[in-house]
Amino acid sequence: MSTIVEATDLSRYYGPVVGLNDLTVRIEEGVTGLLGPNGAGKSTFLKLVAGEIRPSRGRVTVLGYAPFANREYFRRVGFCPQQDALYGEMTGLEFVAFLLRLSGFSRADANARAVRALERVGLADAMERRTRGYSKGMRQRARLAQAIAHDPRLLIVDEPMSGLDPLARRAMTQLFHEIAGGGVSILISSHILHEVEGLTRNVVLLHRGRLLAQGPVPEIRGLLSRHPRKVELRARNARALASSLLELDHVLSVRLSTDGGSVQLETRDLDRFWSELPRVATETRAGVQSLESTDASLEAVFDYLVS
Amino acid sequence: MGAFVSAAWLLFHTHLRRLAWSKRALVCALLALLAPLAAFLVASLGRRVGPADVAVHVGFLLQLQVILPVLALVAGSAAVAEEVEDRTITFLFSRPVPRPAVLIGRWSAILVFLLTLLAASTLLLLAASARAKGHGDAVDAGIREPLLVAVLLGGAVYSALFAVLGVFVKNPIIVGLGYAFAFEGFLANLPASTQALTIQFYLRSVVAALGSPAWNRVEGFASPSFDPLPKALWTLGLVLALALALGAWRIARREFVVSA
Repeated sequence: MSTIVEATDLSRYYGPVVGLNDLTVRIEEGVTGLLGPNGAGKSTFLKLVAGEIRPSRGRVTVLGYAPFANREYFRRVGFCPQQDALYGEMTGLEFVAFLLRLSGFSRADANARAVRALERVGLADAMERRTRGYSKGMRQRARLAQAIAHDPRLLIVDEPMSGLDPLARRAMTQLFHEIAGGGVSILISSHILHEVEGLTRNVVLLHRGRLLAQGPVPEIRGLLSRHPRKVELRARNARALASSLLELDHVLSVRLSTDGGSVQLETRDLDRFWSELPRVATETRAGVQSLESTDASLEAVFDYLVS
Repeated sequence: MGAFVSAAWLLFHTHLRRLAWSKRALVCALLALLAPLAAFLVASLGRRVGPADVAVHVGFLLQLQVILPVLALVAGSAAVAEEVEDRTITFLFSRPVPRPAVLIGRWSAILVFLLTLLAASTLLLLAASARAKGHGDAVDAGIREPLLVAVLLGGAVYSALFAVLGVFVKNPIIVGLGYAFAFEGFLANLPASTQALTIQFYLRSVVAALGSPAWNRVEGFASPSFDPLPKALWTLGLVLALALALGAWRIARREFVVSA
């Protein structure tokens, strides 16, 4: 596998605000999820990778190029920005073809590629309509079409699922799988963690402009084995159950819900907790109705790591 | 160079088509009607005012000093600033185009639009002035030609300045209004050599060089210190070229950070 993005001591400041702080990271080809809460530095990192802004300190190379205002580099990447902006008076076809012609394609080639890209993102029926009449999901797909129409080697996508309904999200996820299947590397940012988890095992976690963790999701999840896990139980006698659970030495905290019907707890040893729970539940006649380890998803890993 | 020309040409005709149906074009068209409307009212209501007087007064005091810079500001500042405001500049700057082509291509479209509008507005103004019933000179070539030439030259220079302003600042309209009225409006009307720091001074020099004596009846216009025509034209050309060169240099280097 070859490296597509290499950042060394990369920092970016917006006046006194730190967008990205001393980030050193190497991203291999394939699909990589860039995760973090709002303000983590995801968009700043993507803007640097997309060549929209320059580093304040350090350096970033993508596909071997310094991205900022680099025309050779722009031939090889597709950037789907987060902002919900299009040329409203253009049709979807005109929009994508216009940008392709700016990339140097002839009118005929640009039109043919635009049609293919729009078909690929599912906008075949709407490509002759003005984009100002598009729904949010259609606008997102039109932006994606312009990013893939010139067959880039790397696709950079900023928060593609933001504001989409579940069906549109599923369709978008499927599309990313197809694009990646064609050998295109994808760098995708999101704060909707389970959707990124559905796209790739490789993630980069950012928080407050710094690298928090990087690697396959299972490895990151492994970090949890050394740390507290969360469990939520619903029971008829949740109050008594909470009181007894608090006496277990591996239970760090217990919280009773406001309706008194469920208990949330943190334990240092999940295996011991599972083995001791039946006894405690029987003794307190808790009447456990459901139980769930809320640490099962990437979101929980993320929550833990940033807390 | 080929990439620059083809990108600028594509941006030129794409923007010209977009501009023709935009709200900004409507605002510009309404602004362009103000001077002809004023000339029509003065010509219709001022019984003792002759056609030449109406044309030179409205042409100088309103068209050249007010409408021209405001129109050039509204149209010109859109060249780059509109793409930033609409957050679409990311699409242009993530393409393999020479960045200055965005400025030059879009400004060229604005120039064609603006000059068409200014020419139409000035011709309407002159036609409305000719309706005046009072005694005095008719609207002749000595009024028509210098006004038309000055307005068109001013449209080119002001629009370039304001287009470049949009490359440097976030709110070119506010800064441009400050420039047009606080700076130019003040300095151009001072009886001192500081007039030479304004575009207005060179436009007036053009009018003075080409115009008939009727222009001297406008208060504040008659001045022995205007530049000769070649120097005025050369200076205006230099300002235009320097502004575009500065804008091209800046746009090639500036980061345009758009928010989500």
